[in-house]
Amino acid sequence: MQSWGRKSLWLALSASWLLLVLLGVSPFLRLAAPPRPGLGAPQGWPRWLDAGLLQSFSQPEELLEDVPQLQAARGESCQRGACLDTSKCGSDGLKVFVYPVAGPISETHRKILASVEGSRYHTRSAAEACLLLLLLPGPHERSPVPPQWNGGRNHLVLTLHPAPRPRTFQLAQAMVAEASPTVDTFRPGCDVALPLLPEAHPLRAGAPGQLRQHSPHPRAALLALASERGRWRTADANSSACSWDGRCEQDPGGELSQPTETLPNATFCLIPGHRSDAWRFLQALQAGCIPVLLSPLWELPFSERIDWTKATIIADERQPRQVLAALQEMPLARVLSLRQQTQFLWAAYFSSVEKVIHTMLEILQARILGASAQPWLLWNSPPGALLALPTYSTHPQDFPFYHLQQGSSPEGRFSALIWVEAPGQPPLKLIEAVAASQHCAQILILWSSERPSPPRWPETSVPLTVLEGRRKASDRFFPYSAISTDAILSLDPHSSLSTSEVDFAFGVWQSFPERMVGFVTWSHFWDEARGSWGYTAETANEFSMVLTTAAFYHRYYHTLFTRSLPKALRTLADGSPACVDVLMNFLVAAVTKLPPIKVPQAKRHHEAAPRAPAGPGSGPESQPPARDCVDQLAAEFGHMPLVTSRLRLDPVLFKDPVSVQRKKYRSLEGR
Amino acid sequence: MHSVKLPFRKVVRSTALVMTRLRLRECYKWSVESPCLGLQLLSLGQRLKRAVRCIASAPRTCPGETRSPAVLTPPVQQGAKARPLPHAQCAPCQTPPGPRACALFQACSCRPDPGRGFLQPRRSSTRAAVAEECGEEAVCVIMCASVKYNIRGPALIPRMKTKHRIYYITLFSIVLLGLIATGMFQFWPHSIESSSDWSVEKRSIRDVPVVRLPADSPIPERGDLSCRMHTCFDVYRCGFNPKNKIKVYIYSLKKYVDDFGVPVSDTISREYNELLTAISDSDYYTDDINRACLFVPSIDVLNQSPLRIKETAQALAQLSRWDRGTNHLLFNMLPGGPPDYNTALDVPRDRALLAGGGFSTWTYRQGYDVSIPVYSPLSAEVDLPEKGPGPRRYFLLSSQMAVHPEFREELEALQAKHGESVLVLHQCTNLSEGALSVRKRCHKHQVFHYPQVLQEATFCVVLRGARLGQAALSDVLQAGCVPVVIADSYILPFSEVLDWKRASVVVPEEKMADVYKILQSIPQRQIQEMQRQARWFWEAYFQSIKAIALATLQIINDRIYPYAAISYEEWNDPPAVKWSSVSNPLFLPLIPPQSQGFTAIVLTYDRVESLFRVITEVSKVPSLSKLLVVWNNQNKNPPEESLWPKIRVPLKVVRTAENKLSNRFFPYDEIETEAVLAIDDDIIMLTSDELQFGYEVWREFPDRLVGYPGRLHLWDHEMNKWKYESEWTNEVSMVLTGAAFYHKYFNYLYTYKMPGDIKNWVDAHMNCEDIAMNFLVANVTGKAVIKVTPRKKFKCPECTAIDGLSLDQTHMVERSECINKFASVFGTMPLKVVEHRADPVLYKDDFPEKLKSFPNIGSL
Repeated sequence: MQSWGRKSLWLALSASWLLLVLLGVSPFLRLAAPPRPGLGAPQGWPRWLDAGLLQSFSQPEELLEDVPQLQAARGESCQRGACLDTSKCGSDGLKVFVYPVAGPISETHRKILASVEGSRYHTRSAAEACLLLLLLPGPHERSPVPPQWNGGRNHLVLTLHPAPRPRTFQLAQAMVAEASPTVDTFRPGCDVALPLLPEAHPLRAGAPGQLRQHSPHPRAALLALASERGRWRTADANSSACSWDGRCEQDPGGELSQPTETLPNATFCLIPGHRSDAWRFLQALQAGCIPVLLSPLWELPFSERIDWTKATIIADERQPRQVLAALQEMPLARVLSLRQQTQFLWAAYFSSVEKVIHTMLEILQARILGASAQPWLLWNSPPGALLALPTYSTHPQDFPFYHLQQGSSPEGRFSALIWVEAPGQPPLKLIEAVAASQHCAQILILWSSERPSPPRWPETSVPLTVLEGRRKASDRFFPYSAISTDAILSLDPHSSLSTSEVDFAFGVWQSFPERMVGFVTWSHFWDEARGSWGYTAETANEFSMVLTTAAFYHRYYHTLFTRSLPKALRTLADGSPACVDVLMNFLVAAVTKLPPIKVPQAKRHHEAAPRAPAGPGSGPESQPPARDCVDQLAAEFGHMPLVTSRLRLDPVLFKDPVSVQRKKYRSLEGR
Repeated sequence: MHSVKLPFRKVVRSTALVMTRLRLRECYKWSVESPCLGLQLLSLGQRLKRAVRCIASAPRTCPGETRSPAVLTPPVQQGAKARPLPHAQCAPCQTPPGPRACALFQACSCRPDPGRGFLQPRRSSTRAAVAEECGEEAVCVIMCASVKYNIRGPALIPRMKTKHRIYYITLFSIVLLGLIATGMFQFWPHSIESSSDWSVEKRSIRDVPVVRLPADSPIPERGDLSCRMHTCFDVYRCGFNPKNKIKVYIYSLKKYVDDFGVPVSDTISREYNELLTAISDSDYYTDDINRACLFVPSIDVLNQSPLRIKETAQALAQLSRWDRGTNHLLFNMLPGGPPDYNTALDVPRDRALLAGGGFSTWTYRQGYDVSIPVYSPLSAEVDLPEKGPGPRRYFLLSSQMAVHPEFREELEALQAKHGESVLVLHQCTNLSEGALSVRKRCHKHQVFHYPQVLQEATFCVVLRGARLGQAALSDVLQAGCVPVVIADSYILPFSEVLDWKRASVVVPEEKMADVYKILQSIPQRQIQEMQRQARWFWEAYFQSIKAIALATLQIINDRIYPYAAISYEEWNDPPAVKWSSVSNPLFLPLIPPQSQGFTAIVLTYDRVESLFRVITEVSKVPSLSKLLVVWNNQNKNPPEESLWPKIRVPLKVVRTAENKLSNRFFPYDEIETEAVLAIDDDIIMLTSDELQFGYEVWREFPDRLVGYPGRLHLWDHEMNKWKYESEWTNEVSMVLTGAAFYHKYFNYLYTYKMPGDIKNWVDAHMNCEDIAMNFLVANVTGKAVIKVTPRKKFKCPECTAIDGLSLDQTHMVERSECINKFASVFGTMPLKVVEHRADPVLYKDDFPEKLKSFPNIGSL
C-alpha cells in the first residue's frame, strides 16, 4: 500500500517536474534558435523598438536648399512645347497645310490627301497653318527638305510605310506619324502612332465591325493564332500551350485550318509581337476577336488617347501557360466588354482611311487644346471622340451619350423651336399647346421668311424669343446660343400637337436622350429597279426616320450638324428642305447606330408631309429630287446609316379596355 | 515536521515564480506600447529576486545579491562610442556580472551544484535585444528554483509520514493541475499570436547585423535605358500564382560599413521603414525568397543626398539574389544631387526597376519604371478637411519657397497685372523661431499658414525646383487646389495609370506668362470637378507612404498580370462617381440579326397538358430556334419522347437536381442564341404575333428585359417602405418573367453574380425570382424594362389556382416584402419607372388589319 502510494507520489512528482522542465526549456529553445523563415506565420518586416526615433528622409532645410537651376533646353528634343508651337495656332486651334506632293502618288497617299483636305482643320494657305504636314514617299524615293522646315518645328511627317527613316534630312523637332512605330524610337507626347493600313483600306465609311452578337457563340473557338500567309488558325480551348507561336515539336492538335476565311472566328486572337505582324491587329479588331498581343515591340495606334487595356490584352510571350489559363478563366463580363470595345474602336477610329487621318488630327488638336480637350471618357466610349466635339463641351453630362456612365439623368425641361419659313398666320394654337406643357422652358421662333416677323406674339407662360434666320434650310439646325436646355422640340407651324402628346413624347425622350423622338415617320428602302436608295412617307409597318417638323432631340445634334458635317453635305441638303430632315436623321443614326423612336399622335396631321411640294409621296413629279437626296447622302456617307424600327412607344394603358379616368394621357386615345 | 514543511513552501514558491514569470511576459507585451519598459522589469525583477533569495537559503551568500539592483548604468559597448539608453532599461548581462538588475542571474549561479543544473553558463550578447535578456532572466530564476527542488525532492519523500500522505498527495495533485494549467497558459498564446510579438521581432535598429563592404567589391552597371518589362524583367519568377498577385520579398535590414568601419549611410529613414512595413503587411509580401517575384532591398535610397553612391551600389550588388538587379525594386523620392541634379537616382543599379519621384522624359523608362510622388511629411502632420465647392479667395497661388528668380519675376508680373486674385508667397525671413518657418509663408509682412493657405486658392502653381518632383504637389492636392504644373518634361506621379488631365493643368515653361489666360478659359464646372479629383488623388495615392507603396506595387502587378489589371475607372473615378455610375455590360449599340432567333425556356413541374399546349403555341413563332423544357420535378419523370408534340425546332428537356425557382435562370449550355424567352408552362394566351413582336422589340433593346405583364413598385408613405402594385397603372417598372425576353448573359449574372443572399432567399421562399431578375438587370444596366403589347387577362403566375381575395392579398404582401428585402440588399432602388410600352407601329391605327405586320395583338 505504502509502496504503491510512494510510487504514485513519486510518479506524480516526476511528471510534474518533467512538465515544469519542458515549460522552462521551451522558451530557451526558442531563443537559442535563430528566427527561421517559413515557420508558422510569415515573419514580416520587424517592428523596430526605436522606430519612433528614426529620422525623416528629407529635412525641412532641404526644401529651402532646393535651388532651382534653369537647364538649357536640350536640342534635338521633341517636347510638346518645343516642337508644336501652339501660339501659332491662334484661337481656332489646329490648321493643317499639306505640302503638295510632286510626281505620281500612290493610291494610299491619294486617300490620305483626300482625307486631310476633307477635314475641318485643313487650310490651303501655308502662312495661316500651324501644322505643316509632309507626306513621305515610299521607302525608295527621296524627298527634298521642305521650304518652311525650320528645324522641323510645327511639322508632322507622315509615313505609312514601316521603313527606315529617310536620310535626306534630320527629323529633329518634327513630329512623326508612323504606322506601328517601334517602342524604342517612339517619343510619347510627340509622335503619333498610326495603324498599319492595308492597301485596300477604303477612303470612307468602310466595312462595319463583324460582331453580330454581344457574347461569344458557345461553339466559337477560344483562340485564333496567326499563321502563315496571313491566315488564322483556330485552336480549341483545351489545346495545350504548345500551339503557341509554333514552338511546339509535336502536332498542335485541335487545329481547324480555314484557308478561305481571312478573318478569324474566335474569342481571342494571339498576335506575335513583331512589327511585321502588326497588320493583323486591325484584322482582329474588325472581326471582334479580342487581340492578345504578345510582348508587342510596336506602339499601339493612337495610344496617346485610346485606352487599349479596354479592348486588348497585352501579355508576356514568355508565359504561355499563364496567359492561356488566364484567357480560359477570364470572367464573362470582361470578355463581353473587351469584345464590344473592339467593335466600337474599329467603327469609331479605324474602319476607313478618313477616320484614321481625322483621328490623328483630333489628337493633335487635343494637344493644342490642353485642358479643354475631350476627356478620357469621350475618347473611350461610344460614339467616340470624332463625334464628341470639344468645342461644344468637355463635360460628359452635356452630351446625350454618357448619362449612364456619369450616373446623371437628362434635364427635365425642353425648348420648343418653331421654324417659320413661309409667312402666314402665327401658329397660335401650337404655341399655346406647347407652352402649356409643364416641361417647357422656352419657345423660340426661328423666323426664316422674307417678310419681317410680326411685332406682336401671343402672351405665353414661358419666355418667347424670335430669332432671325438666314433663310436657308439648314438654319433650323444651327446651334443658337439662345437654346438653353438640352432637349429641343423642333416644330413646324403646320404641326398640330396637344399638350399631353408633347408631355408624353418628352417623357419618352428622357429615357432615350440620344435618339430622336418624333410623331411622323418616313422609311427608306432599296429600290431594286433603279438600283438606288429611296424613301417614302407612306404608312408602313416600319420606319427609319422621323420628321423634324415635330420631334424631340438633344441640342448637341445642332452642333454636330453644323460643325462636323462636311460642307458639301450641307449644301446638298440646303437645295431641298426635305433633304435637311433626311440629313439630320442620317447624322443621328450614324452616331447612335440605332433607329429613331415613334410616339403616337391622336389626330393625323393635316398633311403627312408638311412641306408638300418638296416632300415625297405627294406627287410623282416631286419625287426624283428627294429620292436623289437619300441616294446622294448615302453615297457621301459611304454607307446607309439608317436603321429600321418596327415599334412605337405608347402610354402604358394606351387604348386598353379600362376606364379613361385611369389613364394619364387621355387625349392620345383619339376619337 | 520542519524538514517536511520546507519543500512544501518551496513548491508553492516555485509555482508563484512561474506565475510571476507569466506576469513578466505580460509586462513584455505591455511594454510594446510603453516607453518605461525598464521600470516594469525592474519592479518585477525585485519581486523575483526576493523570492529567489528565499529559495537560495544556502550556506553561501551570493555575491551579487547584497548589491543594490536598482543601480542602472549604461553598458559600454566595444568598438562603438557610448550611447545613453533612451530609457531606464534592463541592460544586457555582462561577464563578469555588473551591478545591475541581472543580479537575479547571479542568484542562480550560486546554487550548490552548478554542474548538474540545466543551465548553461550564459554569455552576454551585445546584439540580443534587451527584451530577450530579461526574458531569459526570468526563466533562469524559475530554473534555479526547480533545480533546487529537484535536488532535494527525492530525499524528502521517504521521510514522509503516512498520515500526511493523503494530504500531500492531494496537494501534489493540485500542484500538478496548476502546472498543467500553467502549461496551457504557456502554450496557448504562442499558438495564437505570431511569435513576432515577443520573441524575435522586438529588436532595435542599432542591433542590426553589420556588413563590411570591401573597397573592391563589384559595382553594378549603370541603369540600362532600353529596359522594358519583356527584356529586363524575369517574369518566370512570378510563375505560380492563381491569385494574380506578385510576391514581394524584403531583404532583412543590415548596416553597411566600408573597410574603415565608416557606415555607408544612415541605416534607414522613418519613411522607408514605413514603406517596408506597408509592403510587409500587404498581400504581396512573402518571406520565402525562393517564391518571390519582386525583391525590395532594405537599403534606403529614398533621398540620394546622404548616400555614398559607390558604396551604396556595392551594397546593392552583394544582395543575395541581386543578379544584375533583375526583379529588384528601388524606391527613390529625391534623386540627384548638386550641381546638376539628375532626374533619376545616380546609384548604379543595372536592371533594377526604379520607383522614382521626379523622373523626366529623358530618364523615365516607359512601362518599366514607376513614377511616384515625393511624399510630403505635412500630409501626416496637418489635418486639412476637404473643402466643399464654392468660390475661393485667390485664383492663382504660388507658395513654394525656393523659386528660380526668373520664374519669380514672371509670377510677380502676373501678380502686378491681376492684382488681388494672384498671390505669390515667399519664405518668411524675419520670423524669430526658425523651426516653424516651414509652416509659414509671407507676402509683404503678412504671414500665412502653410498649407492652410492653399485651401484659399483655386489654382496653385507647382514649379520645378532643382528637382522636378516637388513635395508641394502633394500639399496642393491635399488642399483640393488644382495644381498648375510648370515643369517641362516632368513625368507626373503614377502617370501610367492616373489621368492627370482630370486633376491638373500642365503648362509649358515658356508659356508661363500666359498662365492666367489659360486658366481662365477653363469653365467653372470643370474647375470644380478638377478640385474634387485633386483631393481624391491625394486621398487615394498621396496621403501616406503606405498608399504610395501599394499603388506602386499594384502598377507593377498589373504589368505582370495584364489580364487581371485594374481598369481606368477604378484608378481614376472618385468613390462617389464609382457608386453612381453604371457600366452597362451590353453597351455596344448592336441590333442582333433576326436570323439568330431565340431560345424558349419553359419551366415546368408536372402540368404536362398545359405544358404541351404552351410548346405547341410557342413553336408557331417564326423566330423560335430552340425549345428548352426545364423539368423541375424530381419525383416524376418527364413524359416519354413519343408523347411530346412534334415541332419544327429542336426540343430539349433538362432535368434538375432540385426543385428551385432559380433553375429557370441557369445559363444552360443548350442555350445557343443570345435571346432567351422565359415562359411559364401555363402561359397559353400569348399569340404567335405577340411573341414574334416581343422578339423584334428585344432586338432593338437587347440589354433590357422585354416582357408582357408589367408591374410597378411604389413608395408607401404611411408604412415608409416599398409596395408592390399590380393594378392598372400608367407606369411600369417591372415585367413578370412568366413571359419575357432577355439576353442570356443575365442568366449568367443571376446564377453567379446575384448580390447578397437573394438567390437563396428566392429559392427558400419559392417566390419573387422575377422581381430579383428585374432588380438585377436594372441595377447592372441602369435602364428600365420594356413592356410590350396591351394588357391581357393573364392567368398570372401570381394568382394561383384558388383565385381567392385573401390569398391574393397575402401574395401582394409577400411581393412587397421581396421588394423591400432586395432594395436593402442592393443598397438602393435600381428599378426605373417609365410611362411607355411598345406596340407595333400601326397598332390600332386606321389601317387595314391584313396589311399590318402583327395584326393579332391585343386580342382577348
